[in-house]
Order: sequence, then structure tokens, then C-alpha cells
Amino acid sequence: MLLSSIFAKSVRDRWTGELVAGIAMAVLLWMTMAIYADFDVSFYYDLPEAAQQLAGIDPAVGGLAGLAYGSIYNLLGALTLAGIAISIGASGVAGEERDGTISLLLGNPRSRSRLLGAKTTAMVVLSVFGLVLLWIGGLASPAVLDQDVSGVNLVALLVHLGANAVLWGLLATAIGAWTGNRTAASGAAAGLMVGSYLAASIVPLFPDVADWAAVSPWYWFSGANPAANGIDAGYLALQLGTAALLAAVAFVGVNRRDLRERRGRTTLVDRLRSHPMTQRYADRVAGSARVSSLVAKASSDHQALLVVVGGIVAMLGLYYGPMYNLIPEAFADAMNQFPDALMSMIGQADISTGAGWLQAELFSLVVPIGFITVLVSVGAKSLAGEEADRTMGLLLANPVSRSRVLFAKAAVLVLYAVALVVIASIGALAGALLGGLDVSLPNVVVTMSLGGLLGLVMGAVAFLVGAATGRVRWATSTATGVALLAYFAWSFLPLSQDLAGWADWSPFDWYLGSDPLLTGVDWTDVGLFVVTITILVVLAVPMFARRDLRG
Amino acid sequence: MTSTTHPAIHTTGLTKHYDDVPALVDLDLEVRRGEVFGFLGPNGAGKTTTIRTLLDLIRPTAGSASILGLDTRADAVEIRRHIGYLPSDLAMYPNLTGKDLLTYFANLRGGVDWGHVDALATRLKADLGKKVGDLSSGNRQKVGIIQAFMSRPDLVLMDEPSTGLDPLVQQEFQTMMREVADDGRSVFLSSHTLSEVQRVADRVGIIRQGRLVDVEGVHDLRSKAIRRVELVFDAPVTAEEFAGVAGVRDTQVRDNAIMLSFDGHMEELLAVATGRHHLVDINSEEADLEEIFLAYYREDAVDGESREEAMA
Repeated sequence: MLLSSIFAKSVRDRWTGELVAGIAMAVLLWMTMAIYADFDVSFYYDLPEAAQQLAGIDPAVGGLAGLAYGSIYNLLGALTLAGIAISIGASGVAGEERDGTISLLLGNPRSRSRLLGAKTTAMVVLSVFGLVLLWIGGLASPAVLDQDVSGVNLVALLVHLGANAVLWGLLATAIGAWTGNRTAASGAAAGLMVGSYLAASIVPLFPDVADWAAVSPWYWFSGANPAANGIDAGYLALQLGTAALLAAVAFVGVNRRDLRERRGRTTLVDRLRSHPMTQRYADRVAGSARVSSLVAKASSDHQALLVVVGGIVAMLGLYYGPMYNLIPEAFADAMNQFPDALMSMIGQADISTGAGWLQAELFSLVVPIGFITVLVSVGAKSLAGEEADRTMGLLLANPVSRSRVLFAKAAVLVLYAVALVVIASIGALAGALLGGLDVSLPNVVVTMSLGGLLGLVMGAVAFLVGAATGRVRWATSTATGVALLAYFAWSFLPLSQDLAGWADWSPFDWYLGSDPLLTGVDWTDVGLFVVTITILVVLAVPMFARRDLRG
Repeated sequence: MTSTTHPAIHTTGLTKHYDDVPALVDLDLEVRRGEVFGFLGPNGAGKTTTIRTLLDLIRPTAGSASILGLDTRADAVEIRRHIGYLPSDLAMYPNLTGKDLLTYFANLRGGVDWGHVDALATRLKADLGKKVGDLSSGNRQKVGIIQAFMSRPDLVLMDEPSTGLDPLVQQEFQTMMREVADDGRSVFLSSHTLSEVQRVADRVGIIRQGRLVDVEGVHDLRSKAIRRVELVFDAPVTAEEFAGVAGVRDTQVRDNAIMLSFDGHMEELLAVATGRHHLVDINSEEADLEEIFLAYYREDAVDGESREEAMA
């Protein structure tokens, strides 16, 4: 039956995301409980109410359970599950339109309504699957850690959380069904969801307008504190009723409009290029300049990723500076007593100093994750991407050698690293100045640059594997694996006296091992980075030159 | 410039295996200057493998090839100054406009005459202002054809180039190919459509299962062309009546109609058909490639020796 096969295919396409999210949430819950198990967490409940609300912490439950279930399930879990539901909902009909497969699908004897029904059912079933994973994790963590969480009504929390996810997923479905625009559907639904979450968290703090919080759908989930008070029938009815209404809206929308054919994205630059006033200037930037050379063209290919990730790292840098002054003394003291394993993960930073705080919050995880994400993605797609897109043959029909293409792409990888370092440094420097952190500003730039080199090493691994195999996925997974291995080697090998020496081989050690925020640049580390990157790129030359190309 | 005394393409024992699977076996081929060479074969015959090997995108397992006298391995980059290439199942950068894409390749290539590009675009009615990703496959193909022709290359290699083109544009495109040949330059045209190759090519190479079956002038091929003929009469006929006509094979009779494969002289067939019966309708269509290949093999079985002589 086609319906079951559309349903089955939709589930098959999406279940891994839900699985990863469910397991990640369960692991985070376990980690949070494990970390805080032996501490007095009451200081969290002394934080301003706004901070508690925004962090999802549940004062009605209190104690460890309120902190763990609150910050992980109430906040991260709810946002993640709703985000996945939005992604699935937006891709439903609009995704098939974007891929140009909708006409193929509807060439079969099935109606649009049944198609939408199958897609929507898949979204709901997958959300329930995610909930089951959260439920298992929610029961297992306290059992394994032998913690008392008797005050928590896990099922009630998950019922409201699931209804919330389905509601946002159906909002995306409805927008997608009316517009056929997947990007608009996911963007608008995600934006409204975050707005609703902020409103539900902040509006109640102002007595004059507190009642208005109930207008926000997120409040129907979080406002009733289901973990403490059980299922609130009224709010649940509101959630499910709204979901049903959105589903009806989606069915009307998908049946009354012309379906769209596959088309490319229209960006802001495209609009500027088609407008007579801006045409000439935009044409020069987006057209002739962009295609003037291999390097220029390759540089323009991944700008969106660069801007988004660079922007996020810069924003976090800006945010953590002033944040330093807000953390209570007690928190810093508590963190400094954390188990060694946990401290290793943030580079043994002493967060009671400005430099230690920056290292723990920004440089130990945010910068590596951000930089490695961008540079591995760009590195993997450099050569293998052109093969996967089947443009490599067309490109190499021009009088350019394979090695010239390779070096141009490698140069672009370096340019991206430089751009990331510049963007992120601006944020971090501004944050440090705003917060008046006792940290050397040149050293912030040095450390950020070492972060760029760290990302570049992983990017070069992806570049090499891509050059040798022509497969983006292999390149990405190898480089990600190497990065994780390097990170864990650097974090955990020093805990064992016998193995500590091996940690020196990890690029993470070259990055933060010499405490660059305190001591400035260590040229040995820079040398190790440069030599490794050069070797990886040079190795790629014969690998790429001697191979049968794929596209 | 390359010397004009060398053939456009010359391959010697060119062989390509994917792992252990032979995709191309012992290809000996010569494409001359000033000709359109049709490379004809069914899907999976080895046409694309041949072109990709010539372009040094993949490497031969054995044998060698030269283009315009230059070795395809050693002089790959120099060769690309003199060729234009249109891959099959064309994919291009979807976020570039046609104009951007041509500019990009023109910059990599150097020395492209934009007047020529505009003229080609006008002839093919191509819209270069739209993003490639927004174009229909036929309109995208036009951009691909322009990029293959824009540098006035000495050799244009094209893999199934007519995909998605409407008949009028196809006709213009065929004229463009003829102009290249008349200018003393060469076209290597891979196709699985006999009629297309017949219309435009001077000579045709037929490839099947990785092996070159035959190379002949297009007129010789046409004289061999087999047709499926259906004759409809006002009364039942028997197969035996037509068995005597030279070139008749695979006869099937159904009621008043007879269907047969035919590669003889049409007037002889019609003489038999109209002599004794009242012919009501006649349908004749080109046989597909597979039937022609079968015909070749049949001949091979009978007449293998002389065919090999003909190829030499």
C-alpha cells in the first residue's frame, strides 16, 4: 500500500535523527545527574528567577531532579524534539516539492491528502519514538546513579513535551502545505517556537502582564510544571486542539494551491541582481567577481556556513565576557572541585580567573566545535564535492591541471580558517573588553589563531580523504573521528600516568596545551600545526592525481 | 597550436576495466580532422568510459590515446586548451547563472570571444540570465552546448548532447556541428540514436559491450539500415509469399497484417505486396540499435573474415 510505503519511507528517512537526539538527551541527563550528584545544587535556586526560567530549571520540583530534568528535558529535550518535528513537518510536502519528487509521488493513484496524512503520521510516530527514548533515559539515569527523584512525574512531563513537539511540527507542516516553501516553513516555525519559549519564560516575571504568558503555546507545556504537578488537562487540551487545528489548516492548504516544481534557492543577492538600482553593483560582486578564478568561485561556495558558525562563535565570545561577572563565587568554587575527568574536558581551566573562564566556556569546546565543523565540511567538499555534484569533469575539461585545482581549493580552506579567526576574535575581544576580563587581548587572538590551525588540521584530514576517495561522507566521517579521538586523547590520557606522554601527539595539545591565553604563542606548537597541515595537503596531490575521478 | 597533420583522436588498444569488469576492450579508433564522428552504442556500451578516458578523468588499464597528436596522459592540460566537452547527464553549478558559468570557464580557459558566445546563445535561444538550477533540462543543455563550443575548439567531445532539446534546436545544433567540421575542426558525438548520428555524422563507429564492432561511412550504414515494416491488406496473407524477397527476416503474420524486419530494396518488397493483394496500409520504422547489432552479428557469423578486412 502506497500510504504505508510513504509513511514507512518517511520514518526510514528520519528515524536516525530522532534516535541520536533521544540518546544524546539521555546521556546528557545522566552526565548532569552524575556531575551534580555530590554537590549542593541549592545555589541554582538562588539564581534570578529569569535565569532559572530560561535554563528550564524547575523550582517546583527542586533539588537535583529539578535541575537535571529541568535543564535537560524541559529545555534542551523539548527544543530538540520540537526542532526535529519542525524539520520533519517542513520537509513533508514542501520538501518533496523542493526535491522535484512530488509529481512523481502524486503520479501514483493517491491524493494529496493521503500524502500529507502519511507524512504527518510519520512525524507523530517519530516524535513518540523520541519520547520513548527520553522516558527510558529518564528512568535509567536515576536508577543507575542511585538518585532519589520521587518528586518527578516523568510521564506527565513527557506527555506535555510530546504534545508541544507535535504542535510545532504541525505548524511547520501547515506553513509548508500552504506555501510549498520548505525553508520558509522551517524558518518561520522555528522562529515562532523560540519566540514562544522566550515569552513563556520571561513574561511571567512581570506581574502586570504575567497572564499573557498563557497565550504562548510553549507555556501550555512549561507553565503548568507538569513534572511537579502532573498532566494539566486544560493545557493539554489546548495543545492537542491547536495541533488538530493546524493539521486541518495544512490539509486545506495542500489541496487548494498549485504545487511547485523544483527550483533553486533565491537569495538576497539574487534579488539585488534583478533590481535595476542595485543590479550593476550586485552583478559585479555575485557574478563576475565570484567566477573570476578557481579561488574566488570556491570561496563563494560555503559562505553561508562560514557566516552562521563564525557568527555564533563570535556571539558566544561576546556573551561569555560580561557573563564572567555574573557567575556566583559559589559556582566557581564548586566547579573548581569538579572531578578530574570533567576538568580535563575543559582543559583544567581555573574558572575563577578571567582567562580560565574564557578557556572553559569558549576555547575548550565552542571554538574547536565551531571551527572544526566549518573547516571539515569545507575540506571534505573541496574536491569530493565537485565529484559528487558531477561538475569535476566539466571543470577539468578546461586547461587547468588537477594539482592546480587542488591547490586553489586548499588555499580557500586556509582563507576560511583566517576568516573564522577574524570573525570569532572580534566577538571574543569585544566580550573580554565589555566584561573587563583580566586576560591579555593579544593572547586571545593567539589562542583563536591556534584554534584556527586546529580546525585547519582536521579540515586537511577531510581534504586528503576527499582527494583520495572522492567521497564527501568518508572524508567528513574520517575527519570527525580523528577530531574526537584527538580530543579524548588530550582530555583523558593525562589522567593516566603511563599514557600521559601520548597526549602530546594530539593537536588539541598543540592548541591549548601550552596555556596560550596565559603564556602567548608557543612557536613549537605553531610549527607542529603548519608541518602537519602541509604534509596532509602535499599527500593529497599524488592521491588526487593518480585516481579515476568520479564525476 | 597543434599541427593539423595529426588525427583528432587516435587510440591504440585502449582498454579500461572497473575492478575486474571490462568496460572498454582494445579500442583502436581514429577520428579525422574535419569530420563529425558518430560514436554509436546502446546504454552501457562503453561510450562514456571512452570519452572520460580521452579526457584523462579516468585512466586506461592498457593501451594509449592521443588527441591532436598529444598524449592524453602526459599532455592532458595542453589538450584541454584545444577541446570542448559536454558530459552526459549534464550537471552544473545550480546557483550560478548561465552567464556566470560561462564566465567562470572562460576565465579558466582564456581567450573566449564573447561575441561568439552571444551568437551561439541567440542561435540556440538560450537564456543565460537565469540560474542554471532554475532551467529545464533542455535549456540547461543549451548552456552546456555553448560552453563546449565557445572557445572554437579543434575538437568537441559530446556525450549524448541532444538530450532534452526540441527538434528546432536540435536542427540548429546539428548545423553547428557541421560548421565545425566544415571549418576543418572535428566533432566526436556519442549517441544511442541512430537517426541523429545519420543526420550529422560523416563516419560512424559502433560500440557494443566495450568492443568496437565496426566503423563505416554513414552512407554505408544507411544502406544496411534495417526497418521494421508492417503491411496491412484487405485479406489474410501468408508468410511464405514474402520469404522469397531478399532482406526479409523475422516475419510474423496476424490476420490481414504481416510484420517483418527488412534491409533490402523497398521496391522489391512493395512489388510482392501489391502484385497479388490489395495493400491497405503500410508502416515502416527504423529498427532499434539492438536489432542492427544483431544483424551485424548475423553477418559476422557468415562473413567474419571479410568484415575484419573492411575494418582494417
